Amino acid sequence: MKTDNFLSVTRESVAYFVIIFSFALLGFRLVQMQIIEHGAYDEKAANNAIKGIEQIPLRGVFYDRNMNVLVSNIPAYTVRITPAEYDTALNKLLEAVLDFEPGYIDKVLFGNRTYSKFVPIRIKRGIDFNAVSWLEENSANLRGVDLIVEMQRGYPAGIRGSHMFGYAKEISPALLEKGKVYYKPGDLIGSSGIEKAYENILRGKKGYTYVLVDSRRKEIGRFKNGTEDAPSIKGNDLVLGIDSDVQRVAEEELFGKNGSAVAIVPKTGEILAYASAPDYDLSAFSYSTSKEYLQKLYIDPDKPFFNRVNSSPKPPGSTFKVMEAIAALDMGVIDTDYIIVCHGGQVFGGRFFKCDAVHGPLNVIHAIERSCDVFFYNLIYKIGMDKWTEYARRFGFGQDTHIDIGEESPGFIPTGASYEKIYGENWPRSIMASLGIGQGEVNVTPIQLAQYVALLANDGVTYTPHIVKGYLTSDSSRKFMPFSYKEINVGINKDIFAIAKEGMFLVVNGSGTAAASKSADVQIAGKTGTAQNPHGKDHALFIGYAPADNPQIAVAVVVENVGFGATWAAPIAKKMIEAYLLKDKLKQREKNAEKKISNNLIGAAIAH
Amino acid sequence: MRIDYKLNDKFDLGLVIPAFILFCIGLAAIYSSTLHNPHATGNFNKQLFFGAVSIILFFVIYSLPTSIFKTLAVPTYLFSLLMLLVVLVIGRRVSGAKSWLGLAGLGFQPSELAKLGVVLILAAFLSRKNSAIDSFKDILIAVSLGFVPIILILAEPDLGSSFVFMGLIIVMLFWKGISLFGMFVVLSPAILAVSSLFGVYYFISGLVLVILSLFMFRKDIFFSASIFTINLAVGFFTSYMLKALKQHQQTRIRSFINPSADPLGAGYNAIQAKVAIGSGGLWGKGFLAGSQTQLQFIPEQWTDFIYCVIGEEFGLIGTLITLGLFLYLFIRVLKLASTAKDEFISLVLIGILSIYFIHFIVNVGMVVGIMPVIGIPLPFVSYGGSSLLASMIMLGIAANVYRTRKNYT
Repeated sequence: MKTDNFLSVTRESVAYFVIIFSFALLGFRLVQMQIIEHGAYDEKAANNAIKGIEQIPLRGVFYDRNMNVLVSNIPAYTVRITPAEYDTALNKLLEAVLDFEPGYIDKVLFGNRTYSKFVPIRIKRGIDFNAVSWLEENSANLRGVDLIVEMQRGYPAGIRGSHMFGYAKEISPALLEKGKVYYKPGDLIGSSGIEKAYENILRGKKGYTYVLVDSRRKEIGRFKNGTEDAPSIKGNDLVLGIDSDVQRVAEEELFGKNGSAVAIVPKTGEILAYASAPDYDLSAFSYSTSKEYLQKLYIDPDKPFFNRVNSSPKPPGSTFKVMEAIAALDMGVIDTDYIIVCHGGQVFGGRFFKCDAVHGPLNVIHAIERSCDVFFYNLIYKIGMDKWTEYARRFGFGQDTHIDIGEESPGFIPTGASYEKIYGENWPRSIMASLGIGQGEVNVTPIQLAQYVALLANDGVTYTPHIVKGYLTSDSSRKFMPFSYKEINVGINKDIFAIAKEGMFLVVNGSGTAAASKSADVQIAGKTGTAQNPHGKDHALFIGYAPADNPQIAVAVVVENVGFGATWAAPIAKKMIEAYLLKDKLKQREKNAEKKISNNLIGAAIAH
Repeated sequence: MRIDYKLNDKFDLGLVIPAFILFCIGLAAIYSSTLHNPHATGNFNKQLFFGAVSIILFFVIYSLPTSIFKTLAVPTYLFSLLMLLVVLVIGRRVSGAKSWLGLAGLGFQPSELAKLGVVLILAAFLSRKNSAIDSFKDILIAVSLGFVPIILILAEPDLGSSFVFMGLIIVMLFWKGISLFGMFVVLSPAILAVSSLFGVYYFISGLVLVILSLFMFRKDIFFSASIFTINLAVGFFTSYMLKALKQHQQTRIRSFINPSADPLGAGYNAIQAKVAIGSGGLWGKGFLAGSQTQLQFIPEQWTDFIYCVIGEEFGLIGTLITLGLFLYLFIRVLKLASTAKDEFISLVLIGILSIYFIHFIVNVGMVVGIMPVIGIPLPFVSYGGSSLLASMIMLGIAANVYRTRKNYT
């Protein structure tokens, strides 16, 4: 071969060079990919092949004080749509089957447009049996639509507890923005009541199971046989101070009325019953509320969603007189020998203030018993405006009780300054006469009344009213972890309480205003109240406790727009007290009644 | 030369052993990548069968008299052209290209045979007179011999294989000792054809470079003008061809030029291939334990992307051993080609080497992401009967030459 041709001498060398150079290049490239950049590629491979599936834990259940289940978890069907596979031509059909207004599904899909098209979106939870069977039958024609079983709340004790238990619902975009670390779209979050207040304890901890997916993201098995899985941790179960029997009686008694009933353990502040009426059916409300039901609730003028216990301040009426008596006794401006003669009314500041009756001469005990207005018109002037305000506040009025659930209203306790603001420095002192009988600008909530009666029953010492006593750990030990609540102490001598309580005892057991509600089996002490209502009939109030000598339960009942407290509120309180204290007796009575009926039936059968 | 009666004297273990190990590595990788694919579970057994057939063929070729290859050059070439024509008429379309002939239930790619045909005919033509290739006519004939099958293969269209042919022609002309100007004449139209695919500006810049080069070479004006005209014609012809192609063929060509334009097609494979290899690390994830492979992130991995299986499951150790085996094999063939005194034999060997090498560098370059995605198999390793048979026949020729090297070297 000639040497003057292109690279003729070095042809072989060129060939060697090309080969060696290529191999070196590939070798370096492989070292770069498999050693230097290995980590990044490894992560990509893992992301490709391993999919973490969120395991939603069970929410904690609620027990009452006797460990009866109040709120449980029950399986229910949820319909989901996977946008990548779903054909929106099915919208109309699905909306009809699932009872949605037209355009609903498009709206939901649009709301989720920024998330992966391969992640299923929950369209409806807790769908009814008819819809489930229709979806199952037609599943072949419903691409991208699936049914899964999820847990929803059940209420096995037959207690509604709407405002107390509350509900969890799908997290809103606004909350999602704040709670990004834990929550994902479609997650449930407590939205009211206990479900909201104890969300962090109830929700548990999400788990993950890892599955292998192929290039089409189809699951093909567990990753490492599930050894890397992080199981979800069930939420903690809550133990409530609620007594199912008392709660049931409160709900039954308030049915058809507007009002509140709260029972509380005076020594501990544990709430035994917490009812606000009208209420709504949580089991119908949860997740799959029908349009009609929701609509009805929203337009109802009685506002079933409104939590009256926490947020409905009303004048306390005569129930306030006990506090005033204690204030006057504590201040030393009166004693039990202090007498006022009631002539059926009295003039203050040129205005006549009447009494319900002509009570004649009364000391403080009998003034409470008979609820004499004239006595307390005079008493508030002896106490003075500033002291009256101070004592009202010492009993927890005019401020939040810090009950463990829900928003609350602080109510309103007027001060001299507040009147000065309106009327000037020489505000008419006749205003005070109204305050003396718990009318006028003074406003208190039912939960404040409950706390107040607890303080009365337990001689001025109690704890922040609370529904939840503590929780059970979710591990196998199920240890009870109590929550601690703040002690409230009004700092007044026991003897002074004893005087006022004697009056309260006589209200029910003497010739008092609530004598009709005297119980044959238990000694109840209490105080009626009737708050004037400029918009209609008066509000009926009753605060009471029992047994009178060693109070185990204190009750506050408010029934709106019905009339006298003695007529409407006291009987409810009595039934609640009996339900709690005469539990065994009542059950025995029921049993006996059943026996009687069955005996009669047998007797009747024999007679034939 | 002293006669050595050991086995290695007549039988080049240095050729056969690396090829055999590569075949075995390929078998393992095919087994792994088809294990969970219901459409490909039979591929391992098929490859074993092809392996057996190709070993028989290897020994047949090995035992033939070396002189027969020159005799067979023209018949092989013509037969392969015929086959390429036949496949265009009655061929089976596999992934867009009409490149398969059904033969007794098995697929057969005539382009594999054509590679051997072009090696033999070019070697025969170029060694016709024992002198350097210097006339324009010789270059034109040589290039034309190579271009007839290229045109037929482009019509399938199988771009990958046509690139192998272009490389093959250039390497063989180079080995024959073409002058720099001759190389320019051969290369410039090819470069212009490719540049025209990228757009008008690339094409015009290419033309300007050609004009400048022509001035540099200072050949006579008529000759230079002819070269320029040919270049211009090739460029226009290419862009005309591109427009005449059907939509899916155009897409294939475009995604070849720019893989990221088709991220779910060729681009997707390129990305997943890199992930597979990179995630293998030093030692690999273990046989049958590569997630990318076992979960089928790379479609038809047992063919063109087989190197990913090795990279993912056997790691850097596996990929470097594979590289080493190829390197040893290539050096062995190159040595044989360099020492061959017979020019035909030397050219045949260098043709074989260039076919192996182009397949190798394009295939591995593709999966490690330094070359565009061109679907051609990795010799001895990839699944596929035609490719394996062709590789083993060529290995048989090399071994044959080694056996009779005393006569030819």
